[in-house]
Amino acid sequence: MSEETHYNQQPKRNVEFIVPPNTLKQKVGTGGLSDDILDKAQKLLENNSVDFQPLAEMYLASLMRGIETSQKTPDEDEEYLIALMLYPAMQLKANGGMFKYPLVTTMADKLIQFLEVIDAPDEEAVEIVLAFHTTIRAVVMGRISGDGGSHGRELLKALNDACTRYFEKKVKRH
Amino acid sequence: MGYEFNKVRILLVEDNQPMLELAKSLLVTFGVGTVHTARDGAEGFKTFCRENPDMVIADWMMKPMDGISLTRKIRNDPLSPNQFVPVILMTGFSERKRVIEARDAGVTEFLVKPFNARDLYRRISQIIERPRKFVRSEDFFGPDRRRKSGRGYDGPLRRNTDVRDDDYMINMGEREFSSPTDRRR
Repeated sequence: MSEETHYNQQPKRNVEFIVPPNTLKQKVGTGGLSDDILDKAQKLLENNSVDFQPLAEMYLASLMRGIETSQKTPDEDEEYLIALMLYPAMQLKANGGMFKYPLVTTMADKLIQFLEVIDAPDEEAVEIVLAFHTTIRAVVMGRISGDGGSHGRELLKALNDACTRYFEKKVKRH
Repeated sequence: MGYEFNKVRILLVEDNQPMLELAKSLLVTFGVGTVHTARDGAEGFKTFCRENPDMVIADWMMKPMDGISLTRKIRNDPLSPNQFVPVILMTGFSERKRVIEARDAGVTEFLVKPFNARDLYRRISQIIERPRKFVRSEDFFGPDRRRKSGRGYDGPLRRNTDVRDDDYMINMGEREFSSPTDRRR
C-alpha cells in the first residue's frame, strides 16, 4: 500500500491554526463567580427602573415606516422591504424582555419568524405585520408587563392564527 | 477562591443607552475593573484601538457601523491592536442563518437578547475556560468554528431553528444550513 498523502496532490488550501495566549484566564484565575454575585446581578436586572415605553415607541415607529414603505412602494426590492420591518421587530424582541415586557418579546419573536419565511411582503403579509404592530403597541401603551395572563395568550393566539391562515391560503393558491 | 475580574477591561458597544447602562452595571456587579463604552461600531473601533481591552461585547444592530462590521475590523484591520480579542455579539436574532453570519465575521460567542445575568456570565466563562483556537485561511481569519469537548447549555431551546453552543461550533461549518436568501443589511 502506498504511503503517499493526498494522492500525491499538492494541498489546495493553506490553513493555519493559532493558539493565542489566554491572558484573560491569567488575569481572573479560577473558581468562577459565586451564586451570590450572580443572584445580585440578576436582581439588578429584574429591578431596573428603565421605562420601556419611549424605547418601544421608537421601534414601533420604525416598524410603521417599514409597513408604510411596503404599502406605498410594493415594487421595491422584496428583501429590502422585509428588512425594514424585520430589524425593528428584532429590537422589540430583544428589548421587551430586558425591560419587563416579555409579552412584547414573545409577540415580536413570532413576527420575526413570520418575516423570516415569507417570500415577499405582499398586501396580506403586510396586513399581518400591521396587526402585530397594533397589538404590540396596545401591550406597551396598556403597560401590560409580564406575560399578560390569559388576555396575553389570547392576543398571541390571534396573531399566530393569522400567520397560519396566511400560509394555508398560500398553499391553496399554489 | 473565585474569579477576580478587577484587572479585566471590557469594551461594551451598544447604541441603546438603557441597554448599555444595564449591561455595564451587570459587568460591574461581576467585579469587572474597567468597562469602556461606545455607541456604535465606528466609535467602538476607535476605543478598541486606544484602550486595547481584554474583551469586546457588542450589539449587532447599530448605525452607522454595526457589530458584525466592528468584528471584521477587529479581526482584519491593520490598525487592530489585538486580532485575537474575544468578541461577544448581542442580538435579538437567534435564527441559525444569523448565527452563521456572525460566525463568519469572526465572532467568538453569540448572546441572544433578552438575556439574564447567568446567560452573560456563561458566555464570559466560556471564553475564559474554553478559548477557541484561531484559524487563518485564504478567506477567513477568526475563532475556530468547531468546539470539540464538553457541552455548554443543555436546557430546552426556544424553537427548532435555534442553535446550541456546540452546534455553533461543529455544525455551523457546513454551508448547507445557510439560507438561500439573506436579508439586506
